Amino acid sequence: MPLLTHHYQKLFVFCALMLTVIGVVFVYSASTYWSSVHYEGQTPFYIRQIIYFVIACIVFFAIIKGPELTEKKLLMLYLFSLALLIIVLIPGIGIWRNGSRSWIGIGPLTIQPAELVKITTLLYLSTRLAKVKSFERVVKLEHFVIVFLPALLIMLQPDFGSVFILVVTAFILLFIAKYPIKLYIFLMFAGVAGLTGLIISAPYRLKRIQSFLDPWSDSLGSGFQAVQSLMAIGPAGLFGHGFLQSRQKYLYLPEPQNDFIFSIILEEMGFVGGLVLLILFAILFYSGYALSIRAYSLEQFYMISALTTMLVLQTSLNIGVVIGLLPVTGVTLPFISYGGTSLIVIWLTVALIIKITNTTGRRSKN
Amino acid sequence: MKWISLLSKKRLKLIIYAFFLYGLAIIARLVYVQIIQHEHLTELAKANWDREIPFVTERGNIVDRENEIIVTNKLAPTLYFIPKQSDDIALAARQLAPILKADEAELLKKMQKHAYLVKLAPEGKNITEEQVEAIQALRIKGVYSGVDYIRHYPYGSLLSRFLGFTGYDNQGLAGVEYEYNKILTGNNAAIRLFTDAKNIEMAHVDDEWKEGEAGATVQLTIDLTIQQVMERELAQAMQRYDADQAIGIAMNPNTGEILALSSFPTYDPTNFKNVDSTIYNRNLPVFMTYEPGSTFKIITLSAALEEGVVNLEHDHFYDPGFTMVEGARLRCWKREGHKDETFLEVVENSCNPGFIELGQRVGSQKLLRYIKDFGFGQKTGSNIAGEASGILFSEKAFGPVEHATTSFGQGISVTPIQQMQAVAAAINGGTLYTPYVVSRIVADDGEVVVENKPEAKRQVISEQTSAQVRHALESVVAKGSGKQAFREGLRIGGKTGTAQKVENGRYKDGDYIVSFIGFAPADKPEIIVYVAIDNPKNHLQFGGLIAAPIVGQIIEDVAPIVGIEKSQEQIEKVTVWTDPIMVEVADFVGQTVDEVVQQHYPLTIEWHGEGTIVSEQMPAAGSKLMQQGTLHLYLTEKKHED
Repeated sequence: MPLLTHHYQKLFVFCALMLTVIGVVFVYSASTYWSSVHYEGQTPFYIRQIIYFVIACIVFFAIIKGPELTEKKLLMLYLFSLALLIIVLIPGIGIWRNGSRSWIGIGPLTIQPAELVKITTLLYLSTRLAKVKSFERVVKLEHFVIVFLPALLIMLQPDFGSVFILVVTAFILLFIAKYPIKLYIFLMFAGVAGLTGLIISAPYRLKRIQSFLDPWSDSLGSGFQAVQSLMAIGPAGLFGHGFLQSRQKYLYLPEPQNDFIFSIILEEMGFVGGLVLLILFAILFYSGYALSIRAYSLEQFYMISALTTMLVLQTSLNIGVVIGLLPVTGVTLPFISYGGTSLIVIWLTVALIIKITNTTGRRSKN
Repeated sequence: MKWISLLSKKRLKLIIYAFFLYGLAIIARLVYVQIIQHEHLTELAKANWDREIPFVTERGNIVDRENEIIVTNKLAPTLYFIPKQSDDIALAARQLAPILKADEAELLKKMQKHAYLVKLAPEGKNITEEQVEAIQALRIKGVYSGVDYIRHYPYGSLLSRFLGFTGYDNQGLAGVEYEYNKILTGNNAAIRLFTDAKNIEMAHVDDEWKEGEAGATVQLTIDLTIQQVMERELAQAMQRYDADQAIGIAMNPNTGEILALSSFPTYDPTNFKNVDSTIYNRNLPVFMTYEPGSTFKIITLSAALEEGVVNLEHDHFYDPGFTMVEGARLRCWKREGHKDETFLEVVENSCNPGFIELGQRVGSQKLLRYIKDFGFGQKTGSNIAGEASGILFSEKAFGPVEHATTSFGQGISVTPIQQMQAVAAAINGGTLYTPYVVSRIVADDGEVVVENKPEAKRQVISEQTSAQVRHALESVVAKGSGKQAFREGLRIGGKTGTAQKVENGRYKDGDYIVSFIGFAPADKPEIIVYVAIDNPKNHLQFGGLIAAPIVGQIIEDVAPIVGIEKSQEQIEKVTVWTDPIMVEVADFVGQTVDEVVQQHYPLTIEWHGEGTIVSEQMPAAGSKLMQQGTLHLYLTEKKHED
């Protein structure tokens, strides 16, 4: 393995670790009051987050040390995660939370199959794309089936955030895999038309867009979270109120340790603190893409590009929502937001990226 | 093993650039929200976090020219309740109800409101300190007593029609309280509670104190002592003559500062709800317009002297009791006429035909111009709420008859304050000053927000003319219709006025407003006093008989306050058989009540205070008092040790 690849691997994992530690620290700050009110007497969220991280580390090393990922294994994993998506829809097994059936409960543990299926889908799609011969037409029905089968199943829960990330990442992957530009131009028009159609068919969606453009117009209704988030970020200014000094975490901003944890970070650490976090993310993503560019095989290139893009997209979406650039969608901030499945799956992604660079590197040596 | 095509790498880079641009957008947005919109969002957030228990700051005081308090505040706390902080609201209501003498069910309904802070009003508004102590002893969770005040009037109804009053929330509703409400109202202080979004107070965070600011103090030009003297005299007159209304103004003629301002009947400002709104909404000295009658002759006289069309001492006039103007017979108040008289006697006698002659000598347009120059026909600019401008004849309608009647004060309509303003100019050397009643407004921190200075509008007549007017008016008091205002050693000048009231364009029979405008000392006036009594009964309705003695009494009583010294150069008083016999007042100080009574002194004695020993007397020993005058004796319990 060349030195540079190794160097980017270390940088990649280092950033991931830093972000996770920052996450635990701010889960502590953000969740303390919320959990004392809503989850009195239960294990504090930050302790649980540490436990999840320990599990994530075990997963990480298991993947690194584990067997190689062949195409056959990836297909099996893909089918397995599809099965989980079906199971989650069965009443009694799937657990309702916040208006969607996204969780499967196994004893005290709850997992979100959608988080896993994003990875297996992207990996399997990558292997299928790498199989396309250079003289062949690249567009294949099979690719769409691989993506839309899980997308439709997730839609049934429903979990729009996951669907969005899965579908957009997949289309970026197809773009990288030389899908024709015409398709994307067509998709753009189709998207605009579809959106217009959706708004015409259900005018409440227009209201949602209005509340995104001007959240203050309905600051107690649809604009509530956006407004509360702005009231956390704005008053913080350059340097913030200081660690633990957030005001909005006192029940003003609902579930401050989850989707809106970046608000609390910005509130306590200010613009400067936010910038530090953004730079860490930027280095992480840059390392990810650097690893993919330096890949030795097409398959490796597709896989790392897809997984990194998935992380970037999720981060972008979350931050965009928090700072009011995008309408509110329920997406967590990778590494930082509280949540077992989320953290473990993120670290699974990290592990896979490292594993894939290792594996193929070794194979190229042989 | 397939190689990655250049196109794929290029496309990946395109994606990376797109994400990079998005990253820049994030930073730009953060700059916008955290730096550009920082202050705006901070305001909004603070409003969102604010959980305050208001501590009402004191409303500004109203003080007189010597900084004596006229209106102030009394502590009367108000209760607040935070429902979320109570474990048992029903119990809290049960405990509070008897202390507040409130209906328990109604109180409970209020306390169960879905609000972070409930003001327990009216039950718990402005409660006594004893009630507060009783409630605090119970230690009811969520109950807070916030500092609050009610208005306090140490002098009761004094000046009430000018001062006005405040309503339920201490907001000014009438008079000065209304006009200066914004200035008098303070910024409330508050205890800022640190709570979560559900209003639960957080134990580990200290509450903050938000500074407030008391309202500004409004200082009036009013002198409380002069005001008290005036109201005492007017109250007596109201009773003695069973009058409908009474008006009084005292002013410094050299500055326009109003020293006393009163309207009768008065009312108790704490009990305004039971008072007719025409009482508290009408500040008579500026609101009421009526025919001025003879007091207006001062204007005609000033114009004639300034124009040099008369020599008061040498020019003679024959008054047969009437004058014919364009076929209209205008009568003198004295049916048989004053016969041959000098023009000084015309003034002393207040002879109507004589004044018509003076008016004619001045000329109609010129007279009208003088009237306007003296400030009639428009508001004085005193800044007293509810001021009227009065009615004059227009130049077109000012025919010979109107010209003639105006010369002696009929057919026009003016306010008392306009008359004060004009007569002050006529006697102060000719300068028309804007009357004013607010001298300064001082903010809580001592900063002077407003300072009013005397404002000269214009020179209307010359100093020489003014001196002649003063002399003529002093002689009105010494020898003429104003004799009742005469006081030994005080050079009082003045003019009587009697005007029939007009109702629906017709004179009302037997319903007069009698007035007197007087000033002292006549050589260098320090004070000018106007008194008008509306519809006095049980008496001959002449200004000389009713209003003049009141003005004389007021000037005599306040002379030491405004610094008027007794003079020897007074115009000799002419005594006629109708003149009262003057009695020299003996020294009663130190005597017991019994001793005083046994002397059978030929004066009406009015007792003040409680006790057996006379501690003070008014007027002082040695001064002269009319036989039917009143002697005021003040009592104490103990004899002076000396």
